[in-house]
Amino acid sequence: MREWFADLDRPVELFVALGPEETPRAGAGDADFGAEMVRLCEGLAELGEHVTCRVEEEPAGFPRFPAVSIRPDGRDTGVRYDGLPWGYELSSLVGAIVEAGREEPTLRPESLAALATLDRDLALDVFVTPT
Amino acid sequence: MLLAFRSAFASERVTATAIEANEFPRLSQELGVRAVPRIVVDGEPRWDGAVPEAEFLRRILAAT
Repeated sequence: MREWFADLDRPVELFVALGPEETPRAGAGDADFGAEMVRLCEGLAELGEHVTCRVEEEPAGFPRFPAVSIRPDGRDTGVRYDGLPWGYELSSLVGAIVEAGREEPTLRPESLAALATLDRDLALDVFVTPT
Repeated sequence: MLLAFRSAFASERVTATAIEANEFPRLSQELGVRAVPRIVVDGEPRWDGAVPEAEFLRRILAAT
């Protein structure tokens, strides 16, 4: 992971939003999700000088807590992870950091061309579990 | 999940949020999440499961 983060073209900020948490589904564990999120993101920030972590309590624009916004150059581009990305899902957060740190997107040219045809905003929510 | 993130980084029109289903059971129930990944476009559940990049783009753009 250190090598991936060392290759980033630009800084990436992990903006952690903390606040009241919903009672998780039985079996999700009794972890302090907010504290774990801070620990996780601070730990990731220690792995590369281009990755930083900032924590705020109940910032505007976050409907669920904890959450982390992955911000290239500190800009909010609408990429967020709601909940603690543990287990296999940690790779999604790491992948998002690596992508955010690239100047050039990694989608194929034909995919970029298709996205360029969008003439309105599009909100994608992807439900995941930490399997 | 990464395709959604990559799409959002590539386009100012697109936002992408991963939602940990077990931590937010109320929302998961509202959207009928029984399998993951469940992809929701503009608040509407669209499909479950991972698909290749070209198909992912085709489906999200068809949903607009």
